[in-house]
Parts: sequence; structure tokens; C-alpha cells
Amino acid sequence: MKELWESGKIRIFLSVLLVLVMLSIFTRNVENNVISSSVNSLTYGLSKVSAAAKEKTGDGMSYDELKEEYDAVLDANRELRARLVDYYDVKEENARLWKFYELKKEHKDYQLVPATVLRRDSNDEFYSFTIDKGTASDISTGDPVMGENGLIGYISEADANTARVTTVLSPQSGIGAVDKATKDTGIVTGSAKFADRNRTMFAKLKSEHKVKEGDIITTTGISGIYPKNLVVGEVRDIGYDTYDTSYYAVVEPYDDIRRIRDVAVITSFDGQGEILTRTQGDEE
Amino acid sequence: MKERSSSFFRYLAYAMEIILLFVLGSTPHLLPDIFGAKPTLLLCVALTAAIFEREIPAMVIGIVCGVLIDLGYSNSIGLFTIALTVVCFVVGYAANNLVMATFPNFLLYALVSVGGMFMLYFLVRFVWAGVDDYGTYFMNHLLSRMIQTYICSIPIYFLNRFIWHTLGNGE
Repeated sequence: MKELWESGKIRIFLSVLLVLVMLSIFTRNVENNVISSSVNSLTYGLSKVSAAAKEKTGDGMSYDELKEEYDAVLDANRELRARLVDYYDVKEENARLWKFYELKKEHKDYQLVPATVLRRDSNDEFYSFTIDKGTASDISTGDPVMGENGLIGYISEADANTARVTTVLSPQSGIGAVDKATKDTGIVTGSAKFADRNRTMFAKLKSEHKVKEGDIITTTGISGIYPKNLVVGEVRDIGYDTYDTSYYAVVEPYDDIRRIRDVAVITSFDGQGEILTRTQGDEE
Repeated sequence: MKERSSSFFRYLAYAMEIILLFVLGSTPHLLPDIFGAKPTLLLCVALTAAIFEREIPAMVIGIVCGVLIDLGYSNSIGLFTIALTVVCFVVGYAANNLVMATFPNFLLYALVSVGGMFMLYFLVRFVWAGVDDYGTYFMNHLLSRMIQTYICSIPIYFLNRFIWHTLGNGE
């Protein structure tokens, strides 16, 4: 040990450790910091290539699943061929953007940025992922992220070329939501108990709530963070949380967040950042 | 000169190994989830390389792997970088001065390191952060990830031993 100290290695080690602790504090407190941006830029190309390569080779589904998907694709292809001119290159890009076209048509005020999942980290237990668009595409922290069929999360971190999406399956998300059928309000937040099954919670329901299985849950838009009436999912079950003594509903998003590949980020919408009055919220 | 050259190629081999496993680990849907988790492959690289290298190179490999693990998870350097820096430095020192870098020793050290690292991660990220149902998460994800990471470290140990024997400087 004495030899180690005399060789100066321990001093190098302690100096490096001190620098790392300082960098840790810096990177945790400074959004869009130079260190994470640099590493993300370095790994961006690599991740892009590997994600694209994987997309072309399928995703390890069983034979039956592949067969089912193949049949569905054949049907869809026949239908499309009858209606569209068969330009394959254009069609591939179209198919990706088409998913969000309806949304844009319904809500002309939405500014949508289509993006593709760049990578998923094996450490993340709530299925967060990184997309291939960042602040250079006007994406910023807090922007809602849509799947083909509804809200799937929000941008939790963004740098120039990539952005991290925290999903509605995560306990970090807290989205004001309403049951469209009964007008019961609550908060959509994830739980480790349900995330594995692609489900989240519609929590903090009143004891006299009328939420039932099959109800559709949408955003309230009260906070001005999410547009109102974005579909979050469908109620699958009702439960009671003995810990905070309130009822909750188990909600299943319409998109399988665990496997989603194409998303759209809403970078701007009418009412963004405005705190709507409670009266307006009730009218929803 | 020859020694410097072989060291260069050895570090190049480590770098390529790290890049390859980073891609394998972070590409969506490439590796299948087994019992809700995937192994943290970069952790295996850092732990196995450290047992063959001296303190400072071991520490550098630990930092690189730790940064990639942390930045894959969030945009900040954190627990894995600091923990791997310490573990790799200590292991690099111990393997060169206190214990032999043999396979049985590696198995024992990897068991303690992987277990300790993930338990620390679990405490910081879930228990102290006050996440509900952390027990469920531990059983459904973390346990599987710990076991898979430990198992994956065995072939990577042999790969790094091969690199060391082939491109080592004869120490």
C-alpha cells in the first residue's frame, strides 16, 4: 500500500475521482451540457446505423407472429397498391409519416416533428428511449410525444441531435387526465407493478369515482404542458391503493410503448404554457 | 518499442470491444429481454479488463464504460462512472499485488462487484428515490439483470484473457 502511495497512482486516482464527482454534479444540474452532448454526438452515427440495420432484420418475433404480421402486411399492401402509385421509396417514407397525418389534420395548431427511436437502454426499466431528433429540430424539454394512437410520454432531456423520452409507464410522469365518459379526473403516472405489461395508472381518483373498465382516458390540458384531449389509453382494471388510500385505474395505452419505433413530438400547440382555469377544465 | 506497440493494439482491441458491446446493448430490440431484463454488457467489459490491467489503465477503462452506461441511461455522469472508476482501480491494484488473476478469483470478485454495483444502483435509484413497488422492480428486473450480467462476464473474461495473452506485454 505504501508503494502504491509513493508511486503517485493513488493521487492520480483521487484526482480523477474528484473530477468525476464534480462532472457528475455539473452534468446533473446543467441541461444540454457539453459532455453529454459530445458523447451523444459521438455515438449518434453508430446508434443510427445499428438501429437502421436492426429495423431491416426484424425483431426476433416467433414464426407465428411473423406469419400473422406478414399476412397483415400483405393485405395492407394489396389495399395500398389499389389506391397508390407504386413508388416504393416514397411509400416507405409515407408509411412512417402517415401515422401522424390524421393527428395533424385534426389539430391544425400542432407542430409535429416525426422521429424514430434511436436507442433503448437496457438499464431503463420503464421503457424510456432516445429519439433521433433534438433541439436542432425545435424539440425542447417537456414536449409531449405521441405514438400512432395516443400520448406515450414527454421529452425529459434534449440535446442538439437526440432527445430522451420518458414514457407514461414511468413514475416520473404525472399527467393531468380525465375519463371521457364519467368526467372523473386524476393523474396518469407509471408504476413498476404495471410497466412490464405496457400499462400505467390513472391515480388519485375520488372515492365516489365512476371510472369503469373500457373507459377512455385523455389529457385535461389544464396545465398547458399537454394539449387537451390527447388519448392516453383505455381502462383495464380498477384498484385501491392502501398506501395513499385512494382509488386508481389501470390504463393500457393503445400503442405498445415497449416496442414502439416511430413517434411524433408536439413542439407547439395552441394554449401551450397557459394555465387554464378550473372552469375551462371542467368543461372538457 | 515492441512493448508499446502491443499495448497500443491491446487498448485498440478493448476500444473495439467496448464499441461493439455498446451497440449490442443499446440497439432497440436486438437482444431479447430475459425475465424482463438484459445484461449490462459494458459492466462486464470493465470488470474483466480490470483484472488483467494495471491500476491506471483499469481505471480508464472503468471510466469509459461507466460514462457510456450512465449516458445511455440519462444525460449525466453518475453512479456507474464513479463506482466503476473505484472498483476497476482497486481490482487493478489487487490483481497485480495481492491476489492472482485466476478464473476462480475472478468468479468471486465478479460476483461481489456485480452484486454490489446493482444493489447500490437499486438503493440510489429506487429505495432512496422513494419509487413505489421497488420490490417488484427488484424481483422482475434487477435480479435477472444481475444474473445475466454475471453470466455474460464469464465469456468476456475469456475474451479479455485472450486479448491479454495475445497482445499483452509479457508481464
